[in-house]
Amino acid sequence: MRVAALSLAGIDTGSLARYRQDLSALLKQAQAALAVLPAHTALKLYYGSTGPGDSDFARAFLKFMEKAQAWNDTYLNLHADLAKSLQITLAAGTTVEECGGLFYQTAYCFGPEGDLCAAQRQTHLSREERLLGLSRGEDLALFDCGPLKAGIAAGTDAYHPEVGRIFALQGADLVIHAGALPGAANCRRQAAGMWAQVQQNHFWAVEAQLYGNLCGRFFGGECCIIGPCEVTGDLSGFLCRAVPSAPAATAELDESARQRLRQIYPLLDLLHPEAYEA
Amino acid sequence: MALDGWKERLFRRYLFWACRPARVRRILPRPGAVPAARHFPKNRVRAAALQLELKLFRHPMDYVEEMHRRVKEAAAEGAQLVAFPEMNNLQLLGMLPGIEQAGAAAAAAEPAAAGGEARGGGGITLADVIFYAGPAMEPLLKATFSTLAAAYGLYIMAGSFLLPDGEKMVNRAMLFGPGGELIGTQDKVHWTLLEKEWGVSRGRRFNIFDTAAGRLAMPVCMDATYFETFRLLERRGAEVVIIPIANPEPYNYWLALRGIWPRVQESPVYGIKSALVGRLLGFELTGRAGIFAPLELTSDGSGVLAEVESFDAEGMAVADLDLEALRELRANHPWRDSNETLYRRYFPGIYKAVGAAARGSGSRSRA
Repeated sequence: MRVAALSLAGIDTGSLARYRQDLSALLKQAQAALAVLPAHTALKLYYGSTGPGDSDFARAFLKFMEKAQAWNDTYLNLHADLAKSLQITLAAGTTVEECGGLFYQTAYCFGPEGDLCAAQRQTHLSREERLLGLSRGEDLALFDCGPLKAGIAAGTDAYHPEVGRIFALQGADLVIHAGALPGAANCRRQAAGMWAQVQQNHFWAVEAQLYGNLCGRFFGGECCIIGPCEVTGDLSGFLCRAVPSAPAATAELDESARQRLRQIYPLLDLLHPEAYEA
Repeated sequence: MALDGWKERLFRRYLFWACRPARVRRILPRPGAVPAARHFPKNRVRAAALQLELKLFRHPMDYVEEMHRRVKEAAAEGAQLVAFPEMNNLQLLGMLPGIEQAGAAAAAAEPAAAGGEARGGGGITLADVIFYAGPAMEPLLKATFSTLAAAYGLYIMAGSFLLPDGEKMVNRAMLFGPGGELIGTQDKVHWTLLEKEWGVSRGRRFNIFDTAAGRLAMPVCMDATYFETFRLLERRGAEVVIIPIANPEPYNYWLALRGIWPRVQESPVYGIKSALVGRLLGFELTGRAGIFAPLELTSDGSGVLAEVESFDAEGMAVADLDLEALRELRANHPWRDSNETLYRRYFPGIYKAVGAAARGSGSRSRA
């Protein structure tokens, strides 16, 4: 299965039409069955098409929270349509979801028929996100992504290993990560996230990291495709690791290699739950 | 068991004699004999992570001298907490005649047959050897590290030892205090496949020890593969988690990164990795001992405070641990969160998915 993680670098978000055109071209070029967009995709698209917004990220985010519900129809329809027209699974990054007076950072994923196949609320929040008034999701569900079972780790969920373990023990083959790391590229910070979760759960991860300036804040993470070290040629755990400014990282997932590893080295069977209750 | 003939019984008596604690105490400095008795300032501790090269010692007092040399070096660096590696009693297998030949035979065999499956004449397994020699080793080990801790006024995590405990074989870490007291032990909680095959029994809980050098814990090697170890320890107040390792694989940066380093980032504590390196019984042990911290507490943002350069030769990493800075980070961490509702929903029920076979204890009968 070929997968792609996208950074939005080089994608024109100045209008919905240009965004769709650029993204469509990139996705065709990637030839992936699954493509993953980074966190804050909706925010970037909103301020790209409605005006530059506040130069203070937190203030801009707060304003977006007020507008998100109305904006989400546009945002979700666009990506559902794109998924359908390209016959791919498209994880559309994150947006703000309002429900019952509460606000969530939520990642959406559309199947090749344009159907909504997953909506995953971020379950762990940064200090800033808590101050902005976001609430935590309380569910981590898997969905079918082609032949694989997949889960979504939104934002800082990548840094909370409970998320990966819950997915893994439910049977996840793949975890999609919609990320946005503030600041310049920091390979160590990233390695402490999805890479670490992959190594202790033996699933795949498609990690999309936002690249570029957004409302006065620079995001510089690296898009990458991660697998257990043993199934990557150089044992690094990276099937592909794009430079931060690259628009995409792509790779082919060799599921039979991962299954062979799981038979030889049944990492999760060596957990010792009895000791966790003591 | 094959080791029950009269010659073996006689040799075992020799082992007890050769390993008797009185001999150990005779050759090591007396308690408090070293003038630089340690002062433990509040909230700050200097730690030394040792990397030992695996050598077989035919004479147990040579082992004692070697451990003394390493403690002396660490003390000279001002260390107040010294960590030795996993399986720090394998060196004493050198007391057993023919062990080197058995090792050479295992090394020549298929890799899968090395170590656990390696059998000398009479189908003797590693477990047989541990049940045979372990009872003689244990008093020697305790006397060695107790005496050294008291002589230098240090905390010594003596590493872990493969030892018999009744009918079980355990991989047990030991912590000694500056008065020479055995503060506590920790049995390795997570098996490697090899240990499962050997019949090593798993520990059933993680222990924390409140000391003048901070709240210490010492799970063993494979325990650092799983986030649960560090999360549970951190939640229960551990500040310094020591991981003794004896990692049987060729060195690779990424493979080696999978243990203590990410665990320290997930659950903010200081991490100390002590390593046994070298070759024995067909295994190649590699590792880089080091001292690790959350990225935010390292000046270069690497998460590494100190690390031994070589992965296959002896060395020592020394660093100061600022416990107050750790507490501040925990209280004001920029992105850490806890979702108790989510955890209650999934844990511990989600662990039912773990293979039923893995839940059985590894108690090994000597019969």
